[in-house]
Amino acid sequence: MIGPTLSRPRLVRAATTQLADALCARGRPVAGATDLLIHGLDTATPELVDLTAMSDARPPVEQLSGGVTRVSATAPISAIARAPVPIPAALAQAIAQFASPQIRNRATLGGNIANASPAADLVPPLVVTDAVLGLRSADGARSVPISDVLAGPGRTTLRAGEWIDYVDLHPVEHSGFRKLGYRRALAIAVVSLAWSWSATGTRLRDVRLAAGAVAPTVVRCPHAEAALTELTPAVVATAATAIHQDIAPIDDLRAHAWYRRDALSGLVRELAAPTEEQTGTQLSERNTTAS
Amino acid sequence: MKVNGTPVHGYDPGARLLDVLRDHLGLRGVKEGCGVGECGSCTVLLDGDPVCSCLVFAGQADGRDVVTAEGLGTADDLSPLQRQFVDHQALQCGYCIPGVVVSAAAHLAEADHVSEDSVREALSGNLCRCTGYSKLVAAVLAAADHRDSP
Repeated sequence: MIGPTLSRPRLVRAATTQLADALCARGRPVAGATDLLIHGLDTATPELVDLTAMSDARPPVEQLSGGVTRVSATAPISAIARAPVPIPAALAQAIAQFASPQIRNRATLGGNIANASPAADLVPPLVVTDAVLGLRSADGARSVPISDVLAGPGRTTLRAGEWIDYVDLHPVEHSGFRKLGYRRALAIAVVSLAWSWSATGTRLRDVRLAAGAVAPTVVRCPHAEAALTELTPAVVATAATAIHQDIAPIDDLRAHAWYRRDALSGLVRELAAPTEEQTGTQLSERNTTAS
Repeated sequence: MKVNGTPVHGYDPGARLLDVLRDHLGLRGVKEGCGVGECGSCTVLLDGDPVCSCLVFAGQADGRDVVTAEGLGTADDLSPLQRQFVDHQALQCGYCIPGVVVSAAAHLAEADHVSEDSVREALSGNLCRCTGYSKLVAAVLAAADHRDSP
């Protein structure tokens, strides 16, 4: 196999310059390459600028002031999970369910965003933590909210020569992530859900829900968020119905639209806190059924 | 890059690491199963971490250490882990085994505590289409016992 041209800039500045270079008009950035090597090399032999050899690359995770967590977009996601700085639970849970150990040692957060799959595992946790992307290009740096970058299946608003440097996550009190796939490892999400909120007693505030694989992009769910004021079964059931107004699922090779709608409602209903009547035995039975 | 401790030069940086290892270096323990990162047959260690060599550009391994199943031990000098695979008859057709052994070796090198759950998680990216998983897991657990009480 004759491979593409692969350049490996050793500095962030060099990477940015090479991507802008006229010689790289057909070029594109690459990091983990776990999607590119499968889908990206069939039609043309592109010029690739590898973002994984930069000696001045940022650490996988940094804690900034104001509780903001800055996560590298070019580090392997296993390095993010192993970093000594904690990350929001929703992102940690999504990483744990992402593909396989081998893929986690190569794939990057930036790649998962730029690939722009509606089923991307790492994107819903970014949406519920109000993630802001740090982008770089020869024209300079800019910051863009995650929701402004996702344009459609496989499409982003990234400009030519622009690459994702880091992702800033805002602090949340509680967060989590669940996905349904055909099996636990190496499965593309049939439906996924990330959530975050703050709690005062039993009342929820700042509720954010983001669903995957039920619309052309990962989507926030404002109707369900408004309904989810506490975690009682009745309130959660209302939110589980309201979420149908927030999504536009399709039939495809992995599932029918009706299944996605029902399954997403199921994921929302499972947010309900266990009631006092549910003993430990009943709870463990419920969890066994769910896993 | 270094492969099994030996410096290697003269490969196409845009080629897949898998093709360089198999075709350029003749390391036939590195198997191509699916070619899309789903089966784990081509698993090698890159600086100690298991990766699918079908999803790595050879140039991305420049300056790094690559270890294949051949680098863990040879037929004449099996590693303790490989010995447990033989003793447990932990193979059927055998095609997936080099990749499985490499994933298991990474787990034994990294994990302080090894359990059946941790082994199954560590091998979750390696498919055995003969479905002989029980013996694979038993072999890795036996190697962990050997590691912890030499």
